[in-house]
Amino acid sequence: MDSLETFINNFTTAVDFQDQVEIRPETLLADLAEWDSLAALGVIVMFDMEYGVTITGNDLKNCTAINDIFALIAKQKG
Amino acid sequence: MAQATLGKVRFAGLASCVPKSVASNLDCAPEKKSERERLVRNIGINTRRVCEPGQVFSDLALKAADELIKGLGWAKSDIGALLVVTQSPDYPIPATAIIMQDRLGLPRSTLAFDINLGCSGYPYGLFVLGSLLAAGGIRRGILLVGDKSSNPGSLDNGLLSLFGDAATATALEYDETAPNMYFDFGSDGSGYKAIIIEAGGQRVPMRPEHLERLPGADGISRKGTDVILDGPAILNFSIREVPPAVTALLQSSPYSVEQIDYFVFHQANRMINETIRKKLKLPEEKVPSSLHEYGNTSSASVPMTITVRLRDALAASPTRLLMSGFGVGLSWASCIVDMDRPYLAPLIEL
Repeated sequence: MDSLETFINNFTTAVDFQDQVEIRPETLLADLAEWDSLAALGVIVMFDMEYGVTITGNDLKNCTAINDIFALIAKQKG
Repeated sequence: MAQATLGKVRFAGLASCVPKSVASNLDCAPEKKSERERLVRNIGINTRRVCEPGQVFSDLALKAADELIKGLGWAKSDIGALLVVTQSPDYPIPATAIIMQDRLGLPRSTLAFDINLGCSGYPYGLFVLGSLLAAGGIRRGILLVGDKSSNPGSLDNGLLSLFGDAATATALEYDETAPNMYFDFGSDGSGYKAIIIEAGGQRVPMRPEHLERLPGADGISRKGTDVILDGPAILNFSIREVPPAVTALLQSSPYSVEQIDYFVFHQANRMINETIRKKLKLPEEKVPSSLHEYGNTSSASVPMTITVRLRDALAASPTRLLMSGFGVGLSWASCIVDMDRPYLAPLIEL
């Protein structure tokens, strides 16, 4: 099982937040000012490079919280 | 997988032309500064060159071709083929290449036609023109490659900040002693919607409402004649297809990664280009980039990068390049070309 803590670190780097934000598993994406199309691209790259997992724009559109994105790793790895 | 080896064709020269007008992605209201800096950091594009109103791709291409022919000292009567790779033609019909035969003052015996490709276009253009020359009847040919992709006034921030305008002219020559060029090609039409202008062709004929900006599914208002980019789909395509295509090309050639002097990729954006570079485990110094200053210049981005980053290296010694283009179609192509001190014009501004 990949660590949630590591994932949140990876997520924070991928999104490239302008100000420091505390990200928790239940944090809602809609509450993050930087959760935009650029952030989505960063997260898709991060999934590919860090987890060897391909996710799509639609996969991300279906997520509402950080937990949902984290769950894509296990889901895509089967 | 389509692969090919092409002999008897020499890469003789290259000239690139950009508009004088510079657009900066950091030129914005003070409250937007931090957001724009984040954008520039991630897409890697600081400034772009954009055509003045009325200036089009073929105007830049004409200047590049004139300088190239002059620099090479070629007689126009020796040029038998003129190919244009663009998705910004002068008119829907006729082909821009045929108009350019006349504007360049090339003989009426010139073979001329357009190839409708975008970011993947440079290797395709080299292969098609090279194949025509290798057939034996035509000695010298010119390949004009590029686009006017900038769209001032667009409300699509992603699109606005990405594209720069550029045109390039490449000279190829029949030469029985030239080293082989190696090519690898691919197409995936199932992804045609990832980069598309929907209106204006026969599938969706132009109607008055296509000239109005109307909100799309993503909330961005566009005209029917604007390019729609599906960023995640393009990213997934690029990092899925390009690294294995480059590896397959190397395997089909006599060369190892170490025997390639430079890898020149289409300049898509920093995220895509860096991911491809890391997947192929290529050192940064072997992968030149022109993104920061010129942005994504569509099919011109590979030759533009050679002009602005490799001119000195290519003048110093024979150099082996692996070039790779990928994008709209979806389409991709890579090639390995040995260049023995070709004529390289300094970057031209118009």
